Amino acid sequence: MRRQFLAVALFLALLMPAPAQDSETQLKPFGRGSWRELMKAHAGRPTIVHFWGVTCGPCKIELPQLGAFMKEQSGIDFVTISADFVPNLPEATRAMLQRSGLSLAENWIFDGFADRLRFEIDPTWQGDIPRTLLISREGEMTTIEGSAEIADLKQWSARQLAVKK
Amino acid sequence: MQKLRTTMIAAAALLIWQGCANAQMHHQHGSEAACDEPDLRCASKVTPVFASDGTLWLAWMAGGRISVASSRDAGKSFSTPVAVTDKLNMDWGPDARPKIAIDRKGGIALAFAIFRDKAFNGQVLTTRSNDGGKSFAAARPITGNNESQRFEAIGFDNNGELFATWLDKRNRVPAQQASKKYDGAALFFASSKDGGATYSDARMAIDNTCECCRIGLAFDPSNHPVVVFRNIFEGGVRDHAVITFADSATPGEPRRVAVDDWQIAACPHHGPSLAISPNGTYHVTWFTNGKARKGLFYAHSRDGGKSFSAPSAIGDAKRAPSRPFVLAGPHGLTMAWKEFDGEKTSVKVMTSGDDGENWSKPRTIAETADASDHPLLVTDGRHSYLSWMTKADGYRFIPIGDES
Repeated sequence: MRRQFLAVALFLALLMPAPAQDSETQLKPFGRGSWRELMKAHAGRPTIVHFWGVTCGPCKIELPQLGAFMKEQSGIDFVTISADFVPNLPEATRAMLQRSGLSLAENWIFDGFADRLRFEIDPTWQGDIPRTLLISREGEMTTIEGSAEIADLKQWSARQLAVKK
Repeated sequence: MQKLRTTMIAAAALLIWQGCANAQMHHQHGSEAACDEPDLRCASKVTPVFASDGTLWLAWMAGGRISVASSRDAGKSFSTPVAVTDKLNMDWGPDARPKIAIDRKGGIALAFAIFRDKAFNGQVLTTRSNDGGKSFAAARPITGNNESQRFEAIGFDNNGELFATWLDKRNRVPAQQASKKYDGAALFFASSKDGGATYSDARMAIDNTCECCRIGLAFDPSNHPVVVFRNIFEGGVRDHAVITFADSATPGEPRRVAVDDWQIAACPHHGPSLAISPNGTYHVTWFTNGKARKGLFYAHSRDGGKSFSAPSAIGDAKRAPSRPFVLAGPHGLTMAWKEFDGEKTSVKVMTSGDDGENWSKPRTIAETADASDHPLLVTDGRHSYLSWMTKADGYRFIPIGDES
């Protein structure tokens, strides 16, 4: 039985693609139902969700600031979702997340009919990016349109972490 | 041994299935198009224009190329497509699309943008056909500047001069060198007296505009270019402005269309639309998420853009109305926009027979359940039509009806 297990494991290992390097940024496809899944996974935890895109000028400036902010924080879940409309951009998305120090965030990328994905998140959102959602432990959601002020994020995070104590 | 073989076959099947699923996901990833070929059915962006002889011309972006084809039966059938470019890294931004304009002699001018680097800086390229669309000259940059240009608009005036305008980021270079903050882009313009073969030197109309929204271009009855664009007003407020040119080389003062008060450091990716009636009334539609109002709006100006009517809301606010387009057609005005109900996108249209004072009740003219291009309106001088590219249902070219 043990030999069988080892043989299957070896066989699978040979067939599997090379494992991703530690430094490689993982991107989850954000499809229909992903928003509900994401909300469920982070329920009860203070969470920052940041929507951005590689072709958005203000995003390029904000992303590294968010990367530095994330490194300073613990106890706050940090999620990024590439909601750009430009197709075939996973590589550019990964590269920009990596350069911004966000490889270890929970990173998603829109995969599918963008209008419907946005509608599931917020029916009134027409796709302007960057956009940041601050979701409290109780599920209270604050939307920041455009680039966020890092000082505001720090203040919100401190308040969230204080509640825990 | 049999058990081991079965297990290994099952494991291999699982891996193959996963591989297929991954490949499928990769193929479909974020794509707005149904397929990757240069054909019309694979297009993500399609732009229509009628030539003066009533021929419908389409320019589209598909498979990384720009192509054109024409139709003599109002979109029922099309000529064999002509590839304008080789495969390029096209500007796929939501408000980007190829532009096509046709002069009275049938000369075709095209303009489009590509991403010229990994930072998504753009370059506007232009080309022209002198043989009725059978062939196109090699595409050339519209300006010698190499910083970033996107969101071009082109149009022929009544004298056959081609006017071009676009958003240009060249002014960020001196700002960066002086360690100063630079917001947005600048509205640049040029003109061509040879139908788009060569353009005049690029000049700036206004600095610090929004950098990621389409521009609306039309000509007033006196042949002046009029441009509507999302500006950046004081305090980072991204509201709309209109500039009326005294001639193709002389921009006028920017006039604000409405105080929506949308202060946002972001890319709305959602530009305005402009039409001018034969009597000179400007008609503007736009999207805003400002403090003063949110959604789609329409306003008109009967004094050449000096003042505008109070903005009136368009569409069902609960259905995310978007991408408004206004056309001054032979029987009055037509407006089209998209609405989304959580499952399907509808194109709504309404019309006005009294120059924008009153509008008909909106009606649905087309629907689709997957990604779609912006709805565009076009006229041959007799009828008005909706031009709409959809991923699931292909290209749609629909007469609006006699009331338009």
